[in-house]
Amino acid sequence: MERVLNPVALHRVTDREVSLSGTIRAVAAGDRDAFSQLYADYSRMVHAVLLGRVPRRDVDDLVQDVFVTAYTRIRELREPAAFGGWIATIARNRATDYLRQSREQVELPDELPGGDPIEAETFAVLDVIRGLPEAYRDTLLMRLVEGMSGQEIADRTGLAPGSVRVNLHRGMKLLRDKLGLET
Amino acid sequence: MKDDYLWDPSSAPDPEVERLERMLGRLRSNAPAPDVDQVRSAVLLGPRSATLKGSRYVSLRFLVPTLAAAASIVAMIGLTWQTTRGTRSWEVSRMTGQPRIGSAPLAGTGRLGVGQTLVTDAASRARLDVSTIGQATVDTDSRVRLVDTREGHHKLALERGTLHAFITAPPGQFVVDTPSATATDLGCVYTLHVDEDGTGVLSVTAGWVAFEFNGRESFVPAGASARTDPRIGPGTPRYDDAALELQAALDDFDYGTDAAAKARDLQFLLSSATPRDAMTLWHLIARVSPADRAAVIDALGARVPMPTSITREAVMRLDKAALDQWWDALGLRDASWWRKWKGPYPAVVK
Repeated sequence: MERVLNPVALHRVTDREVSLSGTIRAVAAGDRDAFSQLYADYSRMVHAVLLGRVPRRDVDDLVQDVFVTAYTRIRELREPAAFGGWIATIARNRATDYLRQSREQVELPDELPGGDPIEAETFAVLDVIRGLPEAYRDTLLMRLVEGMSGQEIADRTGLAPGSVRVNLHRGMKLLRDKLGLET
Repeated sequence: MKDDYLWDPSSAPDPEVERLERMLGRLRSNAPAPDVDQVRSAVLLGPRSATLKGSRYVSLRFLVPTLAAAASIVAMIGLTWQTTRGTRSWEVSRMTGQPRIGSAPLAGTGRLGVGQTLVTDAASRARLDVSTIGQATVDTDSRVRLVDTREGHHKLALERGTLHAFITAPPGQFVVDTPSATATDLGCVYTLHVDEDGTGVLSVTAGWVAFEFNGRESFVPAGASARTDPRIGPGTPRYDDAALELQAALDDFDYGTDAAAKARDLQFLLSSATPRDAMTLWHLIARVSPADRAAVIDALGARVPMPTSITREAVMRLDKAALDQWWDALGLRDASWWRKWKGPYPAVVK
């Protein structure tokens, strides 16, 4: 049986894709405002992906690295609609490189930057989330740390909204269990 | 339904999720986007542009179309030179150990771009060329981020550690943010230290530095220091050779919480200050309660007479012009220097 597409959803996605495609073309042409727009739209997702994998003190720097890489390789991106998944992959690879490079160095705890004391409880919860399966971990960090809505997570990552919803609910259930919270 | 809140934060909140959001939201970042000009420059300069990894740019060069690669070498050199000149970054040199720019180790020299962080560990130090206006040395266990650099305005954020600055530019061009105060250079040499908890101390060797937070200002001349603390901002400056008892009383007065003890500290300060401590007394005028202000004015007047051009009433109501004239009478430097250029920074030059 032929699959029936929701025309409203299809139209919305198409508009977004058209806009993203234009932004990416502009970035490839060296437009600094377009690059700022891309950063504004995707930096929270990249931050969440990295925060789930590397010490917090280095996350901001790695976010910068990821966007520098994306900027210099953006002409390699064949399908603009795949940008979210593409840059998330760059972020995951960068985190892997980072962990490989720092394996032989002394591991420091997530330090408290001056003037921004964050309670031990926050880092304890972060550690629990880092221990969750990857799909739940990334989605929960985008929702709970970055404040993104489910639809926004779907738009940025390229995941189906239904998958994001499942990841959020299952991830939250696991998190509640591990934190001993009542459901 | 509570589960909808996970999907749509604008729906009825789930208290537990809301609490986690509040807690974990503190880990959110507001770091600026990398500077495109710096990235372009790194691409053109290839792997020797040390802040960016070589392999990426080698591969990018292979992607450049052959015709473009065959374009005039002269034009390429010209473009590289122009781009490098316009780059919003500073040269950074390793002094000891293995400093990092972001997560990349710094082998010899490299460039610190806007938004990037220079990190030193317990064994490493680095030197920054502050555009063309001076140098800054970053000591061990420090973390400093380049916030902005453009004609007439250069800004760092010292998140922790120690920075020694030597600046030859006109006043106000070099600014360092700390978690609890902003140090604005007035043409000088100084050392700024910030601890993990955001407290810090500024010590000035030559010239003077304005230390400011939320409208609370300290003017620190050569030979003097000022502490800073996230709770109240910059403390009252004092000369480094002031009596230790006076310095201790000043710290207690600035950061203590016991009102009776603070009153005793103030009495001690007013009675034991020497004429050289007039600079400290001048700062206290605006920091004491109106009820104590008259006593501070008397104490300062006994060391450096109030200029005849101002009135006691004007000083009592903290009239800026009157306070500035009394500052000028201290013989340190004309306060108009600070007032004149203190204002909005010039617009970004694109």
